[in-house]
Amino acid sequence: MNLLLAAPFIVPLLGAAATLLLRRTPRSQQTVSVLAVSAVIAAAAALLVVTADGTVLAGQAGGWSAPLGITLVADPLSALLLTVSAVVLLIVLLYAIGQDVGGLSRAIPQVFHPVYLVLTAGVCLSFLAGDLFNLFVGFEVMLTASYTLITQAPTRERVRAGMIYTVVSLTSSILFLTGIALVYGLTGTVNLADIAQKLGGAPAELRTVLALLFLVVFGIKSALVPMHFWLPDSYPVALTRISAIFAALLTKVAVYAIIRTQTLLFGRDDISTVLLVLAIATMLVGILGALVQDDINRVLSFALVSHIGFMIFGLGVGTVAGIAGAVIYLVHHIVVQATLFLVNGLIRQHVGHTSLSAIRGMNAVSPKLALFFFLPAMSLAGLPPMSGFIAKVALFEAGVAAGDWLALVGVAAGVVTSLLTLLAIFRVWTRAFWGEPMPDMVEARSQLRQGANRRGLRFMTATTGVMVGIGLLVAAVSGPLSEVAFTAARDLVERQPYIEAVLGTGTQ
Amino acid sequence: MTPGTDGSPPEGWEAPRERWLSTAVRPAFGPRSVLLEVVARLLIPAILTFSVFLLVSGHDRPGGGFAGGLVASMAYVLRYLAGGRHELAAGVPMRPNGFLALGMFLACCAAGIPLLFGQPVLDMPAATVSLPLFGDVKFAGYLVFETGVFLIVVGLVLSVVAALGARMEAEESEARLWRGRRARP
Repeated sequence: MNLLLAAPFIVPLLGAAATLLLRRTPRSQQTVSVLAVSAVIAAAAALLVVTADGTVLAGQAGGWSAPLGITLVADPLSALLLTVSAVVLLIVLLYAIGQDVGGLSRAIPQVFHPVYLVLTAGVCLSFLAGDLFNLFVGFEVMLTASYTLITQAPTRERVRAGMIYTVVSLTSSILFLTGIALVYGLTGTVNLADIAQKLGGAPAELRTVLALLFLVVFGIKSALVPMHFWLPDSYPVALTRISAIFAALLTKVAVYAIIRTQTLLFGRDDISTVLLVLAIATMLVGILGALVQDDINRVLSFALVSHIGFMIFGLGVGTVAGIAGAVIYLVHHIVVQATLFLVNGLIRQHVGHTSLSAIRGMNAVSPKLALFFFLPAMSLAGLPPMSGFIAKVALFEAGVAAGDWLALVGVAAGVVTSLLTLLAIFRVWTRAFWGEPMPDMVEARSQLRQGANRRGLRFMTATTGVMVGIGLLVAAVSGPLSEVAFTAARDLVERQPYIEAVLGTGTQ
Repeated sequence: MTPGTDGSPPEGWEAPRERWLSTAVRPAFGPRSVLLEVVARLLIPAILTFSVFLLVSGHDRPGGGFAGGLVASMAYVLRYLAGGRHELAAGVPMRPNGFLALGMFLACCAAGIPLLFGQPVLDMPAATVSLPLFGDVKFAGYLVFETGVFLIVVGLVLSVVAALGARMEAEESEARLWRGRRARP
């Protein structure tokens, strides 16, 4: 058990050390990275198998018992997200390797592999952290790696975007630290399970303030409206492999942290109204932004902001069904966002840019790409039988069943957002994919097909295809998926399994 | 003291003739200062020894890998300030990346090896041994982990120096060379 709990962040860190030493030999560097991330997938899948029935695993680092030492916890929620994230991390890594092998990226970033593995370790540690401070450490490891990644192959634009990103992230980190200090002052502990027990006796007003503070902290990192402004300015500018992983994972780790802290630490009624209002605002503002963008990357970034609202909506409803819906949505969204950004990177590779006003007829240039864009985009918009449809139905059902008028408004906002997403997708589709291709696009395409690039391009297309396939797979396994999601949600709402596993005599 | 036309210090009575540092190159900033060179020469061994003391005493007293690493990197920063980037390069056994990689490797191995024996992560053995002269000495597995942290901190500070100081300095001297070549007929 201990091995499974620690391997997801120890192995990537070891890999990072090894790849740093192997800088001269790209081939062995790539092998080590792939092996490390594959090991994470194996450990995460094993954790998922063990926890799928609602078991919560806990391990204490260094043998110090629970409220004192560093606690690592895996429950169905963290194991599920860990598995999906690890798979996405591996595929994006393969995509990047294809790009480098094919010589398709102009400046191959020297430190890409070590930093990418450190990012992997940070993501895994955030999912497994059982105390507030370790969660902070996981976030910082992840963010510090992301500061380096976002400015790789630096241009003026990237450095500017990196500045915004870094300053905003640091601000939220400082607030996070403040929150930890306040919680520690109030309860005398940073262990999540211990806080959960002790915070119950705290005055209700104080609890609400803390809940709001943590909502702001993770709200900034997950780009909730009105704290979303930094995301569409920074993500689209980075390299494709990097914006894909950022869009897929970094905001979702923050959503995970919101779900974890709000369900475990704070009572459900404390701020559920705030959550619902923010969720509705996020859905609508995000998608309205997506409708007026010219660059496909920016359309996708605004859609990303908008769909964060769905998950927060599920949490705001607060019932088992609502949280289960949010969990299904998380899984669906991680996969779909990664796919869309990868496809977008391929478009950029083919025609040199992703501006809607200067692309036409991608259909004719590459039918495969059109298909790869169409499937996840329909999933994003929530058309049956895609995974987006299943996730949305789960959420809407939970909202209607809750019966609260604000939840009903949320359902309505969700439906409107889905329709507007469809509109945004069709706007991209009609402009970029239909019609006669522009002559310069055809030329760029035929140039790309010549020479040594072909192998790399074929590899990138193949990995993107696998990603699309995984998106379809999420829909195909929606039965077991929703079972796990409901188990996870029950654990979250009951809280007792988690607390007992960490503090009780349980597994340790 | 005015620097020479190509930026090198003038040869004169105030320029030190003895070599106090291992390379004969200009300092990072301004003219050579014999005071700084002598102080660096005298202090660096002491600082490094102190950093090792902090490292090994850190198990149950103030100190540890992080503090020790910071102190050790101060020795290298002093060496850089006194003697410039070549002096720094002569003083460190490997590149900053090497330090980072080695440190991370040590720390992760020390943290992860207990896992292979079914122990929790970071669970390390400790043993107390009686040595002649030293008396009872406690050897803790944490020392390996702390050494890793020590190396990571040194590597990090050295890469900051390399990125913010030494690279700028190298670019500066390159630009100076280029200007000099253009000025010559």
